[in-house]
Order: sequence, then structure tokens, then C-alpha cells
Amino acid sequence: MLIALNRQSVEIAADLADEPLLFVLRDYFGLNGPRFGCGVGSCGACTVVIDGEAQRSCIYPAAAAEGRQVLTLEGLAGSERLHPVQQAWIDESVPQCGYCQNGQIMTAFALLATRPDAAVAEVEAAMDAVLCRCGTQSRIRKAILRAQSAMAGDL
Amino acid sequence: MPCLSRRRFLMAIGWGAAGITAVAGGAAWTLMPTLPPRNAPTPADAAAWLSLRPDGAFELYSSRAEMGQGISIGLRQVAADELGVGVERVRLVQPDTSLVPVARSTVGSDAMRETGVLVARAAAALAVAILREAAQRLGRPMEELRLASEGISSGGKTMLTFADLGAGAPLIVTAEGVEAASPRLLAGPDGRREVGRARPDHDIDAIVTGSRPLYADDVRLPGMMFGAVIRPQTLEGRIRAIDASACRSVPGFLGLYRDGDFAGLVATRRGALAQAMGALVIEEDEDRAIDSAALTGMVDIGGAASSMEHSVVDTGDVGDGPFDVDLTLAVPFAAHASIEPRTAVARFDKDGGLEIWTGTQDPFFVRNSLANAFGLGRDEVVVHGMRIGGGFGARTIVAAEIDAARLAKLCGRPVKVQWSRSDEFRAGFHRPPSSHRLRLSADAAGRITHWHHAFRSGHVIFTSAAMGSGLQFATGFVADPGVARGSVPPYAADATLVEFEDVRLPVKTGPWRGLGAAANSWAVETAIDALARAKGIDPLEMRMRSIASEHRRLRAVLSAAAEMAGWTLRSKDSSDEGWGLACGIYKEMSYAAAVARVTRSEAGYRVTGLWCAHDCGLVVNPDQVRAQVEGNLVWGIGMASKENLPVDGGRILPESFFDYPLPLLSDVRRAACRSAWSTGSGRHRPNVGAQPANAPTAAGRCRLVTGRHCGIGTRAQRHAPADIDGHATRTCRPTGRLQRPAAFPAGLSRGGRPDACGISSARQAGTIAVMAVRGGDS
Repeated sequence: MLIALNRQSVEIAADLADEPLLFVLRDYFGLNGPRFGCGVGSCGACTVVIDGEAQRSCIYPAAAAEGRQVLTLEGLAGSERLHPVQQAWIDESVPQCGYCQNGQIMTAFALLATRPDAAVAEVEAAMDAVLCRCGTQSRIRKAILRAQSAMAGDL
Repeated sequence: MPCLSRRRFLMAIGWGAAGITAVAGGAAWTLMPTLPPRNAPTPADAAAWLSLRPDGAFELYSSRAEMGQGISIGLRQVAADELGVGVERVRLVQPDTSLVPVARSTVGSDAMRETGVLVARAAAALAVAILREAAQRLGRPMEELRLASEGISSGGKTMLTFADLGAGAPLIVTAEGVEAASPRLLAGPDGRREVGRARPDHDIDAIVTGSRPLYADDVRLPGMMFGAVIRPQTLEGRIRAIDASACRSVPGFLGLYRDGDFAGLVATRRGALAQAMGALVIEEDEDRAIDSAALTGMVDIGGAASSMEHSVVDTGDVGDGPFDVDLTLAVPFAAHASIEPRTAVARFDKDGGLEIWTGTQDPFFVRNSLANAFGLGRDEVVVHGMRIGGGFGARTIVAAEIDAARLAKLCGRPVKVQWSRSDEFRAGFHRPPSSHRLRLSADAAGRITHWHHAFRSGHVIFTSAAMGSGLQFATGFVADPGVARGSVPPYAADATLVEFEDVRLPVKTGPWRGLGAAANSWAVETAIDALARAKGIDPLEMRMRSIASEHRRLRAVLSAAAEMAGWTLRSKDSSDEGWGLACGIYKEMSYAAAVARVTRSEAGYRVTGLWCAHDCGLVVNPDQVRAQVEGNLVWGIGMASKENLPVDGGRILPESFFDYPLPLLSDVRRAACRSAWSTGSGRHRPNVGAQPANAPTAAGRCRLVTGRHCGIGTRAQRHAPADIDGHATRTCRPTGRLQRPAAFPAGLSRGGRPDACGISSARQAGTIAVMAVRGGDS
């Protein structure tokens, strides 16, 4: 079966149909972005964006991605520069241990792609679903505001 | 498994050399204690950390693990300043047992304090060695040459590049050179360009792009399999039988591997492994006797009035009261809940040597333990330290590493073991529950006359998670320093007695962020607030009057935090809003104070303001220090309002984060953190070295701990003669499954979310306490 992985068409072997998409991405395509945190969709570290929506790849069967656009952290940046969300993450020095940040960035990316002027309540609703144990939440708030400004052309 | 008598066993761990040979080898590994290396780093170690490579880069072998505390970038900054180069020219290599001399674990927020100055000395020594070499090659006196960003320069012109100098025989730094070096770091602020500069994490590029492997799960070896260990589901359960016949039909299932009590599955892919684990039929002798109430009972301080096993402070005579304040507080069992589960990759080479990739706080302990386990020489085991996805003390013992190594040995292929989230809760160790009784009195002027803090806790350092029964028995006579941490009050009193007992619990307990300081500071700060109320004194004023004269740095941060928050101008506590403040000292090194405001709305109780000031000595990287402080404030919100690891029917209940709530973005409204830290000049100058140059790591770690009566604890005020604000005794357990306090207004708890539970009313939340604690590592 074929999926579009970071804008490139790739084939997933039929015997991996039941494999969680996370493991296909990590173990067959060698991606580092999506990470395993819980395996049941309770933390968000494995988040990828499928057809524009943030999805938990640890509970998303590979077969369900057939024919879909799968975007991972690796596919966010353009050839020349980082995506404004990634850049904002650096500018605000968000990560501590860094393990959850894939989920934070991909979730923020999916939110801002559809709701570029998302208000605080929307940001909280989306980002509350992604856990961070180090306590980077206040920087995540700032980074999202910064990315919103950058995407609106204010920066 | 050989059965050792206690006597034999005590001999084996060092009280009789004969015992060692008697038990070494074979299956005795689970009983043979391998103790973590405890040696402090020396100039000889530091000489091996730094070199100039042929590509012109300075390579710095870190002896301390990176877990987001910023030690990697901090050490690069320290080295760069001594070498006079940019930080990009210093390449850091994560801890690796084949590269660095034996080093102790990355714990206690002391990575920068212990290794920072040595790195500076090594770099200063290397700078001298480079100049000497350049002088020789150029045939010019050393005085005419200097280190510049690209190499050796003279009169503003580059004479030799670092690549020129790095080629050929390596430039060696000797222990004597390191000892004799006089680094700029210690000479004062003038020579510092990198030290003191805010820089983001060492790996931030890869964290935001996924561009290169960082964590153990990013290690992929040819032919690597995936393994999982089969564990009892109850705390003292024992597996009687395993039937793996249904696993055979799972494509990709490789096999069930057993060795004595050890059993695990191996598969070619992770989905198959999960399916096979689900298909197992396991018979287990269960022990269902243990539950949360039983654990609470085991540490219950009760009415303990007689003297306890260990005393931390004992000056004057605290007497038998009556006291102005008599409080009993309970702190529940809690999990580290790092987002990265323990993960390790193991590979045996054809000669029997073992390589391990893992995110560990103690690579040499892992190495030595595995060498003992497999009868290998220590040099036959290599541990490659990977970035840790959240340490908090959890990665101090051997866990997934031994699982992966045993399965790799049994199946004859490289194996990756990544603990499931359920493994993390059930097989990991956790913060012990504790119980505290504080009896305090003050005179009419608010001067403390009596301070008596007695507490009981499960173990922290002498953890059952890493010790066999014999060592547990042996350490039963010794005070667990982890339990005692943070219990010495910063307040002067005519008589002070701080005493405790450590209790061996039927659950695995161990170091958790801040060790005992998390619980003890909360207890100390809750008590002084109660005393302030009993005496009708403002909590800030009470502290200012009581802080012992030698702790002027604590006084300074407390003033700073209060000023930042507008403490004296704050609105009076109401039913909808309350304020609290707290202060503390971590390991006699870091000073912190914080103010919190809690507001009640339709959505429940929220921390709507947090202000923190702290002073950890010389700051190498202010951005990383600030990050640690912010992280600890959030940690405090979780500790105060959410965290409790429930046990029932002999089972640790949570299986995922659905069952163990953590602080969320919406819980972190505003974290103002102003740092009153020193610049390393002036009065704190002598502390550099003896104390934190401390920086990226040793931030002040501030932990917010709320709730006057019910905070993290359970029974407040059991012995309350001066019942604060007239509230009755109540029980409040911030469990995942909320037990709403009897007096809790219905409809305000946000659909059973436990976050409001820590604060039984906004007014009571006036005691949001923030413990000053360390920063960094565990």
C-alpha cells in the first residue's frame, strides 16, 4: 500500500497493515521525530499530521494511512528554512529533555495550519492533549504566539 | 538461585572478604550488590575529557548525562571561554564508558558544580599546551602568541589554525597541568564571554527537526529484534506458568526466552511483540494485600512522640508542649512519569563482549552491574549514554539495560527493549509516601521557641529497587540521607529537633526530583505558615523574622519574590482568590522563594500567578537555569494538585497517563520568574568551585506545593490545637480518581479532575509554598 510520507510516495509492505503507524515510521522508515510515550494515545509524543489533522500514530494502524498524506516532524521544514513553528521553538528555547516536543510542535502546527489566529482557549484545548513532564508549558505558550505572528507576517 | 544467609551476605558486601568469593559468579548476580561508583572527579579524570582533534574541533567528553538540564551546552560554554573560541568549536560527546574515566552518576544537581570547574581547568591547561606547541612549531616565544577564534594568532594574524595544530600527535593535557591551571572562570567576570550567556539546548536543532538520533529509541542496529519482559502484575506476585503457544501464530514472533525466573518475548517488529504479549496466558500467584491505605498506614507518623531512629538536628530541648501548632501532613506515593519510557539496546559481539545504548543517569553503574551479571570483565562491557527523555531520578538504577542484555544473550541477536507505560508504573520505582508531624511554638513577638519535625518515609537512596534483600537489611541501620534531604529548617529556634524513621515498604521507592526535599520543604513551609497564622503575623514577615542569620541569601530571594509579586499590595484573600509564599534552601547551595496566587472560577481552581526568585551562585547559562526553575514550578503544580499513584489489590493501578494526570498547558497560566542570582563576582566569588558554578544544572529548583490543610497531603491538623481558620480536620487525596473533600463545593471540581483537590478553597490556598530546591539532574 502507498502513502505520501512527507510529500513522497512510499510503499508499506502488506504484512505491516496491522502495525501501528508509529512503528512503521520509526522502524521501517528510520524517522526519529514521532516518539513512543505510552502506546495508547494518552501523551501525544507520537503525533503526526495526517491529511491535515493531528493524529496519534501509536494507535493509528498503518493500513488506515493508505492513500493519505502523512507529515512528520522531518517534513515540516522547507528546503531553505525551518517552519515558523520550529523556528519559534528555537527562539523561545522551549525544549528541556525534548522527548515530547515532537508532539507539541506537530500539534501546534496542525492547529495553526487551520486556525492561524487561534485564541488562547483553542490553544489550550489543543495543547492540553500533549503532555510535557519537564514543565515547558509557559514557553510553549510563548512559542505559539511567536509562530502566529511569524505566520501572519508580523515578524 | 543460591540462598544466602544474612550473615554470609553482609560479609559479601564488604564486611568480610571471604564472602565475596563465596558468592561471586553464576546466578548470584541478583544478590551480589554492585554499588554505584561514588568517586568525585579528579584533575586526572579531567585531563582525559578534552582534546584538540585533527579537524580543528575541541572534543569534550562529558561525564554527565544530558536530560534537558543543559549540562552539555553549559560545559561547552565553560570550555569555550578558556580556549578563547566560540562554543560551536567545542564538540561534546555524551557519556560513554569506553571514553571517560569512571564517573559517578548525574544526580543531586551537581553536574556543573562537580565538573564545571574541572572542565575549565582542563581547557585552560589545553590552551597552555597549544600555545607551547605553537611556539615550538613557529619558533617564537609563547608571549607573542595568543588563542583566537580560528587558531593561534600573533599581531592579529592567524599563524596556525586549530586544524594544523590538531594534526599529528594529539596534544595531551596532564593531571598536573589541570591542577596547575588558572582558568578565567575563577578569575572573575572579565574573561567570560560564553559563561553568563543564554543559549538554548545543545541538541535543539535535532529536537525540533528529528534530524539525528538522540535517544536510545533512535538507535537501530542491523538485525535488531524487539523484546519485552514478562512481569508479575501484582507487587509481590510470582509467575507460576507461562503459555506462549498462542503467540506462535503471530507473524514476526521469534520466541519465549526463559532463564530461571526471568522470562521475555522477542519479535522482529514491535506490533508483533505487542500482539504476542497480549496472546500470552500467564498464571500468577498474586499478592493482593497491598493498597494505598496500607502504604499510608506503614509510614503513618501517628501520635509518635517518643524519639525516632535518626536525628537530623537536635539542639536545645523541644519539650512536650503544648505547642502553638501541631500539624500532621501526609505525602502520597508518586511517579516520575517521564515521557520517555526506559529503553535500551543490547548487543553481544562474537567474543562475548557487550555493548549497551541507553539513556541512563549512571552509565558506570550499568556497566559494572552488567559485567557482574554476565561474568564479564568491566572493560568487556561498553555503555553508550544517550540523551535522556526525562530523568528526575528515575534513571539511576539498572532497568531496561539488563532486560535487553538478557534477551540479547538468550536469542543471540541485538535486542531493543522499551518499557511499556504499564512497565513504567509497575516495574519502576517511585517517590515514597511519607508522613510528617510538626510541633511549633513562638513567643508573642513571633520568635520561634520550639521546632519539632518528626517524619516517617519509605526509602529514597537505599532503594529496594536496586538493592537485594541483604543490602536492604544492612542499610536498615543507617539513616537514608535522601529521606532527610531538605528537612533542616532555615529558621532559627531556641530548640530544634528534626528526626525521622525510614520504613521499608512493599513497593519500590527511590529518588524523585529533589529527593526528600520535595516533601520536607513542603512540610516545613506549611508549618511556618501555620505558626504565622497562629500568631497573627503575615507569612512573609514571619519568615523574615525567623530566617537564621547565616541565610542572608535566602532572605534576599524571599524579598525579591515578594516584591515581584506585589505581596504587600496583594488583595486580601477571599473565597475566590488566595495567595501563598514559601522559601527554601537546597543542599546548602541554592536559595529560592516563590509566591503563588490561586483563583477560583467556574472551571475550578487555577494557579494564576507564580513568581520565583532564586540564587544558585554563578550562572553559566541563564536560559537553562530559568528553564529549570520554570520546570520546577510546574512540577510543583503537579505535586500540589494532581499526583498520587494509587495502589489497590496489590497492584499499582495506572497503566497510562489517562490514569496518572500531569500538569497541562492550561494549568500553567503565568510563570514569572525573576532571578536574583549572583554573577559570580563579589560576595559569591569564593563559592565558585566549592559551590555552584552550578549553572545550567543547578538552578534553583522551585517547587510549588500548595494547600495549607490538604495540599498534597492527607490529614492535616490531626493534632491541631490552634486550628487554622477554624477548619476541621479533613482528608483530601489528590488521586487520579478524585475523592472530593467533604467540604468541597460541588460543581467546582471540573468534572472530577483532581487538580482542584489540592486547594480546598482559594482562601486556604494562601499557602502555596514553593520549595527552593536545586536544579538539574534528578
